[in-house]
Amino acid sequence: MKPKIVSFTLNGRHVDVIVNSFSTLQTLLREQLGFTATKAGCKQGGCGSCTVLVNGESMLSCLLPVEDVAGQEVTTLEGITPLEGLHPLQETFLEHLATQCGYCTPGMIVTSKALLDRNPNPSREEIIKALTGNVCRCTGYEPIIKAVQDAAQRINGKGA
Amino acid sequence: MTVKEYFLPQTLDEALELLAKHGSSLLVMAGGTLAMPLINDGISLPEKVMGLRQAGLNYINQTNGTVTVGATTTLNQLSDIEAISVLQEAANNAASLSVRNMGTVGGNIFAPSPSGDVAVALLALDAKLKLVDPNGERIVPLADFYIGFMMTDLQPDELLAEIQVPVPAGKTIYIKFGRKLANTPSVVAVAIHLVMHGDQVKDARIALNGAGPNPFRAKNAEAVLVGSSLNVATIDAAAKAAMEESDPFTDAVASESYRRKMVGVFVGRALNQLAEQED
Repeated sequence: MKPKIVSFTLNGRHVDVIVNSFSTLQTLLREQLGFTATKAGCKQGGCGSCTVLVNGESMLSCLLPVEDVAGQEVTTLEGITPLEGLHPLQETFLEHLATQCGYCTPGMIVTSKALLDRNPNPSREEIIKALTGNVCRCTGYEPIIKAVQDAAQRINGKGA
Repeated sequence: MTVKEYFLPQTLDEALELLAKHGSSLLVMAGGTLAMPLINDGISLPEKVMGLRQAGLNYINQTNGTVTVGATTTLNQLSDIEAISVLQEAANNAASLSVRNMGTVGGNIFAPSPSGDVAVALLALDAKLKLVDPNGERIVPLADFYIGFMMTDLQPDELLAEIQVPVPAGKTIYIKFGRKLANTPSVVAVAIHLVMHGDQVKDARIALNGAGPNPFRAKNAEAVLVGSSLNVATIDAAAKAAMEESDPFTDAVASESYRRKMVGVFVGRALNQLAEQED
């Protein structure tokens, strides 16, 4: 496999990476760049733990060859986290104990971010629908749904 | 991982050239939501892959009663087509948000049943496919495109370029029945388009998925409806005909006999809802 140079924007910064052709964005992020918030779960597009934003839309990095994001804007959970403190979604996930083992949490937060960016006041049903592709095997989802509802209120309250 | 070469053509012409050069050794991929899981698991071991994400086939044009959709338009982009609510409904019920941001309408047509729930809406809408090869193009009705399980009329040197969808002239409905409410494969999916003339059904298209080796039109059930009114007896007869002409399969989602029963239930339910729907 021939290595290739691929350039894209990662969390607001321009990056040039040398990758094996057809390697996935998930592998690049975790194994080459050390952005390990993006998890490796099923590698089938079925669990949502590897969710990242590409141009603001949620996508599964396990199904995405790196070459496909050339020139695009990729955001991971690291990019959502402010330099100081936490994003409102991270705060409310903590407050509601919406993480147990925590493996699904990055994907949950990235997907919720994509939802709130498009729909700042989602209904309970809209939150559930947006998160159907993110599997959690411990919290039972209820705390996660409440965390997203609270985060929406908190973001809107700040007028952000 | 056995992939030695990955091509990302920037135009349809370039994609056709690559296909002509590499032939059947080339795996053609659009959104990757079907191919990548198999490659990641080592079930599919292609040496060469061509990704169509950048080939300029991502567009929606609406003109004169027809919506033309580029083959790599994503399922979530289909939600923007307000003129065809049944297609929006089918797209919104497919897989998860992230998969819909990646999966394409063209890819959905090649998805093995019981995947392919958007294709079932396209069948009910009598969509046509534009297939392109280096020498030109041909237009094929989607209803004639399917040959069997994972088999289509696509020729080795052809690519699916776009899907032409007529804006429905009559009433439409789409019902997907799965074991969960969302992000789930179909037990069965039903899409129906009915043109009424007064009380009588003038034209009917009933499309089913999960009910045979590929999405298909239930022509016997359609024939039962045409010329009749949508009364209880006709609806029952059409549902029964649809069950009889189905050829369902057993998989992890549902058994053959359960799927056949559900064809009857959901064709009946869809027609009853259409009977109540305002013209």
